[in-house]
Amino acid sequence: MIVGERKPFEEIKESVQGYNKLLIVGCGTCVSVCMAGGEKEVELLATQLRMANKLEGKEVEIGEVTIQRQCDREYIEPIVEMARNYDAVLSMACGAGVQLMADMLDPIPLIPGLNTRFIGIAEEEGVWAERCRACGQCVLGQYAGICPITRCPKSILNGPCGGSQGGRCETDPNRDCAWALIYDRLSKQGQLDNIIRVAPPKDFRNQDSPARQVNEDYLKAEMEEAAVE
Amino acid sequence: MGEDYEPKVVGFCCHYCAYSAADLAGSMRLEYSPNVRIVKLMCTGKVDTLHLLKAFEDGADAAFVAG
Repeated sequence: MIVGERKPFEEIKESVQGYNKLLIVGCGTCVSVCMAGGEKEVELLATQLRMANKLEGKEVEIGEVTIQRQCDREYIEPIVEMARNYDAVLSMACGAGVQLMADMLDPIPLIPGLNTRFIGIAEEEGVWAERCRACGQCVLGQYAGICPITRCPKSILNGPCGGSQGGRCETDPNRDCAWALIYDRLSKQGQLDNIIRVAPPKDFRNQDSPARQVNEDYLKAEMEEAAVE
Repeated sequence: MGEDYEPKVVGFCCHYCAYSAADLAGSMRLEYSPNVRIVKLMCTGKVDTLHLLKAFEDGADAAFVAG
């Protein structure tokens, strides 16, 4: 999932200043799971803002809504008309969601309520960790399901480096050395050959930016269907 | 704040203990301050930050959780 964290309240308060009708929109997928921008967080922020406004004697109408996803048009469409009644929209989605909302609600100003952090997993309740850099050329098959690009701070492909000490990384004694993890798991799997072989440099051209993906078969089927109609 | 200041207090009470205690106090004709409003919960484990914030948003000066 995409992991994000809510911006500090003071920053949010500052960014919504001057708007008399504000709509806060939550996202019910990734950021909901990481407790940053779901229905509950929308309610909490709305309450906080209402109290802050009351204390300052400001009359601001704050609306709240949470949709399933802000990165898909079909989930945004039902709220477009309603959102047009507001002076500004504060989105609690990741950066992708904020941008699609801004496109679809143009010219209403869109304000981000979160800082998007990374693609990661839930390590335990309330703890998330990065696992994927979306490099566009997955090597997890060679490295026992442990990504050296993401989990090694140096992103090296032929590790470990000299900073690996007792299974920990020199950058942080609490951080596991990704290469020590890879070595341990590959030896359990009897596949140490995978790291003895020198890995060629990764082709970072696959990490196209801004990346785009098109499913040609799907588009072709859609076009054929439209032609029949 | 003047001397006649009466804070509005909201108490979130568990049905099985604190609320029952308040109920018993009532049947014993014991009085407690009228500026305390009690909200019964099936369990105080249900209390959420949101409940407390909403109480303040709606004008409470203090809130307590008893359970």
